[in-house]
Amino acid sequence: MSTALMMLSEAAPAAAEKSFEISGPMVVASWEMFGITWNLTESVIVQWIVMLVILAVCLILGTGLKAVPTTRRQALAEMLISALRGMVNDGMGAKYKAYIPYIGILMVYVMFNSLISLFGLRAPMADVSVTASLAMITFFMTQYNRAKTGKLKGYLKAFVDPLPFMLPFNIIGEFANPVSMALRLFGNLVAGMVIGGLIYFALGNFAILIPAVASLYFDIFSAVIQSYIFVMLTMSYISSAECE
Amino acid sequence: MTDMEILANAIVLGASALGAGTAMVAGIGPGIGEGFCGGKAVEAIGRQPEASGVVTRTMIIGDAIAETTGIYALVVALLLLYANPIFGSLQSVLGG
Repeated sequence: MSTALMMLSEAAPAAAEKSFEISGPMVVASWEMFGITWNLTESVIVQWIVMLVILAVCLILGTGLKAVPTTRRQALAEMLISALRGMVNDGMGAKYKAYIPYIGILMVYVMFNSLISLFGLRAPMADVSVTASLAMITFFMTQYNRAKTGKLKGYLKAFVDPLPFMLPFNIIGEFANPVSMALRLFGNLVAGMVIGGLIYFALGNFAILIPAVASLYFDIFSAVIQSYIFVMLTMSYISSAECE
Repeated sequence: MTDMEILANAIVLGASALGAGTAMVAGIGPGIGEGFCGGKAVEAIGRQPEASGVVTRTMIIGDAIAETTGIYALVVALLLLYANPIFGSLQSVLGG
């Protein structure tokens, strides 16, 4: 029986025949510092590649701009930026202009990091530590916005709202947000990865057409929708943390 | 490995597989919820086609929230299949 369960067993002999396996990101290098083992994983390397791609796109779209657009790429850049501004304006309100760059890069970053699986690399968003760190950024931005708009009194009052006995529920709810955001993105992409792997494994040498159709949904549609959802949830959490 | 140990491992592996399958029963909830959400959105767009942008955006957020419990179940199932903590503790019991 060469199912995935056999992987758990140390005593199981290495499956000779082809078997379906799924593993975490490969550790490229690791070293000891401050008594902790630091692992440089595949996810980090792929993220560096994605950063370079995003930088290249930004340089192509963002250089040589004129007051009156004459080139097609400037028209495209202006279209993207006005769509982004409209999205933040609708989602958060007019006074959150300062968040536009962060929301924009978050969307592009999450989307590119999910879509990179189309090129045969392991998607960094299928690593829970990457999604958790993005969710932590949202969590701290939420706390910052609440503290900034409400000061100390408003910040503390938000936890006993509407009634003091709600305090434990509010605290749990506050920590459940980043957990659910991180796991949603991670779970969707890992599910796509597992199902894609299972389809390839089941079809064996006849893997034509069917994996492409499945990939259309699990890699492209799911990645785009999930990055949109991640950004929309970030916007609504930050703006709903505002104190009156 | 003695017969007893093989039996213990087999029981834990089988129970983990059953647990992973049972955890995914939770997929029913998000399925019903998202279907309901999509149906209501279609109704709303049918009644007010000009509000389709706002309705679709709200529907996607609602779907994402409804999906959370299903994703939790998926994470539990994946943990049981690929990073089983129960199997690890069994090994330490058998080894020590």
